[in-house]
Amino acid sequence: MSYQTITTDILILGSGGAGLFAALHAKKQAPDLSVTIAVKGLLGKCGCTRMVQGGYNVALAPGDSVERHFMDTIEGGKWLPHQEMAWTLCQTAPERIRELENELGCFFDRNPDGSVHQKAFAGQTFDRTVHKGDLTGIEIIGRLMEQVHARGINKLEEHRAIELIVSSNDGRIAGVLMIDMRSGEFVLVRAKTVLMATGGGPTMYRYHTPSGDKSMDGLAMALRAGLTLRDMEMVQFHPTGLLGGEGTRMTGTVLEEGLRGAGGYLLNGNKERFMFQYDDRGERATRDIVSRGIYEEMRSGQTSPLGGVYISMGHLGPDMVASKFSGMVKRCADCGFDLAGGLVEVVPTAHYLMGGVIVTPDTRTEIPGLFVAGEDAGGAHGSNRLGGNGVANSTVFGGIAGDQMAEEASSIQHHAEPDQHLIDQAIERNLNPMRLNGGSIHEIREDLLNTMWEHVGVMRNAEALSQGLTKIRALRTELYATGIALKARSFNMAWHEWLNLESLIDTSEVICLSALARDNSRGAHFREDFPEAGDLNSSFFTTAHQSRDTYVINRRPVEFSRVKPGESLLASENALPEEVIS
Amino acid sequence: MNSNAKTLTVTVDRFDGDTHYQTTHEVPTRDNQTVLDVVTWIQQHDDPTLAYRFACRVGMCGSCAMNVNGEPKWSCRTHVSKVVSGDASLSIAPLRNMPVLRDLSVDMSEFFDKWTQAVGYFVPTKTKDDPLSEITSDDRARAKANQSIECINCGICYSACDVVAANDAYLGPAALNRAWTLMNDERDGARQTRLDAVSGDAGCHNCHSQHGCSTYCPNLLAPASSIAGLKRQTLMNLLPWGPSDD
Repeated sequence: MSYQTITTDILILGSGGAGLFAALHAKKQAPDLSVTIAVKGLLGKCGCTRMVQGGYNVALAPGDSVERHFMDTIEGGKWLPHQEMAWTLCQTAPERIRELENELGCFFDRNPDGSVHQKAFAGQTFDRTVHKGDLTGIEIIGRLMEQVHARGINKLEEHRAIELIVSSNDGRIAGVLMIDMRSGEFVLVRAKTVLMATGGGPTMYRYHTPSGDKSMDGLAMALRAGLTLRDMEMVQFHPTGLLGGEGTRMTGTVLEEGLRGAGGYLLNGNKERFMFQYDDRGERATRDIVSRGIYEEMRSGQTSPLGGVYISMGHLGPDMVASKFSGMVKRCADCGFDLAGGLVEVVPTAHYLMGGVIVTPDTRTEIPGLFVAGEDAGGAHGSNRLGGNGVANSTVFGGIAGDQMAEEASSIQHHAEPDQHLIDQAIERNLNPMRLNGGSIHEIREDLLNTMWEHVGVMRNAEALSQGLTKIRALRTELYATGIALKARSFNMAWHEWLNLESLIDTSEVICLSALARDNSRGAHFREDFPEAGDLNSSFFTTAHQSRDTYVINRRPVEFSRVKPGESLLASENALPEEVIS
Repeated sequence: MNSNAKTLTVTVDRFDGDTHYQTTHEVPTRDNQTVLDVVTWIQQHDDPTLAYRFACRVGMCGSCAMNVNGEPKWSCRTHVSKVVSGDASLSIAPLRNMPVLRDLSVDMSEFFDKWTQAVGYFVPTKTKDDPLSEITSDDRARAKANQSIECINCGICYSACDVVAANDAYLGPAALNRAWTLMNDERDGARQTRLDAVSGDAGCHNCHSQHGCSTYCPNLLAPASSIAGLKRQTLMNLLPWGPSDD
């Protein structure tokens, strides 16, 4: 099978916060090198950074500090974060936010005195979330995208990455094999350095928030390339996803956190509040606790007609709700729901994958020349991500990756020679569904989403996980026996849906295996059969890698390189720095 | 109301790369159903060759805009009950004023090229080593900038614009709206360059104030007002006492 070859110096996969930042940094560092962004949808339009509502955590204000942000991140992640990753995140965020405003043109909300407004966000000891109303992601991606368009960066839109191609000589990255989704042709993009920033996005759950293009292609490629992932059992559920029933893409999309913060009620099928049975904070408890409370109500059969619970805002006054949450109320109204005055059905929804590729704090991987940043990289968040640390993570590490890639690519004379065998093999594998008789992949997809939701979801136990594992493996067998009826490769959405499913099944199996390996409950991972957090001092993180046809799961001890459980980097709890006191 | 037993007759404008044609589909109706859901159902259950585009599902990415009964809309945020006609029919077509790649997928590259031509990007005067600008929350220029800032570049205004339809060089409402936002951004360092860029042959003076853009903007922005602002500013710029901001 023939393929086209494109050569660039620096190749970036993905155009969320990490990918766009990397492109801008790389081009600035090395203006003479060619920088190419490849993206599964349109530049800046697919991916999830754009959908950020909350904001950007950064220690800016007097009284706050990098140390305090770091401690919140470590404690939020239940002592599992890679501490150097978390430190890099918190330490670089202030520079990044100044870059976003001063150099790239973002503008965040202000206080009356002209300083930047920082709002409170769950799980943090200081009001440090910079935002632009509740559309922070649009402001950030809008500005980054127009800079990328203006700076002579090459674009490969609607190009799907299917395989990381290394050199047969020395294992260095040589490029990435892709499918041009418009023409259906295979394209090898050769590059001296490559960033994988495709975004995780746990869309293998019946209810999920990430954008529709997300299917874990990046992590599936990483597994095939032999990279080691970590924390893959850590899937964050957002408690209030819209429940619109089957057959609508609205189902699973987020109704924002602030609704509960402002005093919204959650009601079960009998229209009774229930969260106080689970936590003294009621609806204002953290995401994981509220998700489990809702799940428990659902399991006991106390559901709304579509099988979830209700969110109710009307007691706060429909006019107040409509003015304070205008975007959310309008979105619901467009889709036929009355959020301001009525009851809207909600359900916990898979939101973010804390797990990802093991990287160094400067975004390097085990494959020389391959960098990983954003949601594809694991470590910074540990077992739970703080709201507001997602976009900080992608922009901080995307920028670092851009700098590193430019420096390294500048020092390299020749492109590595791609391993022809890998290319041929990948093309064959991707053409397989075309050779089989057409079948119903939608049923396989539905089965996978239900299996993950029911067996590997909000609450887990060994028996359910084992059943889930068997089902996931059976679904892989079924997928490999099911083809695509439509054989023309150009604009073939069914083919891409098949490929999406393959990536989702591979990563689902890894999530399930990792969940089985963690016999305690930390952050987003809750084991009904092991409800305790376990000894913090002997905390471990799970790793996963592919060895031939199986996934190998291991445990590694968390290195407390900056702070140990029971200690704090803050002089004393709640102490303010001297300059503020004086 | 349980309407699940009923169907909707949906006509879709198609293009296979060579030929334009139409297909018709009977789509089961549901209580909760957007136009995007209808298009998805057709592709998944009736005609796998149908090409369309979407990403975020919630009106934040602007990937899924299309013409619904002749009007440009975000398909993800358009409930079927709000657009379906009395005879339970719906017509769906790609956005106009952009080349169709396949079926409902259009080529947006010219749209973004014009964004760049209009200098629709920030030109810094400070660096990351400087503190953030102190701009009070009641700052007048900032308030004006904010009025037009929440654009997600979905292309609906561009598709609705009759001037773009008649003159394909015209920069169009989205790019000009972005330019106007930046003209009100006191931190920006290229306002004269931008004003020159938007007042040329392809620029703001082509606008006939027909307000198609402002009528259809799903974010309720008013690109026509932004364009009027640019027109005023370019004219003021010609006066001997120089530009004013209003």
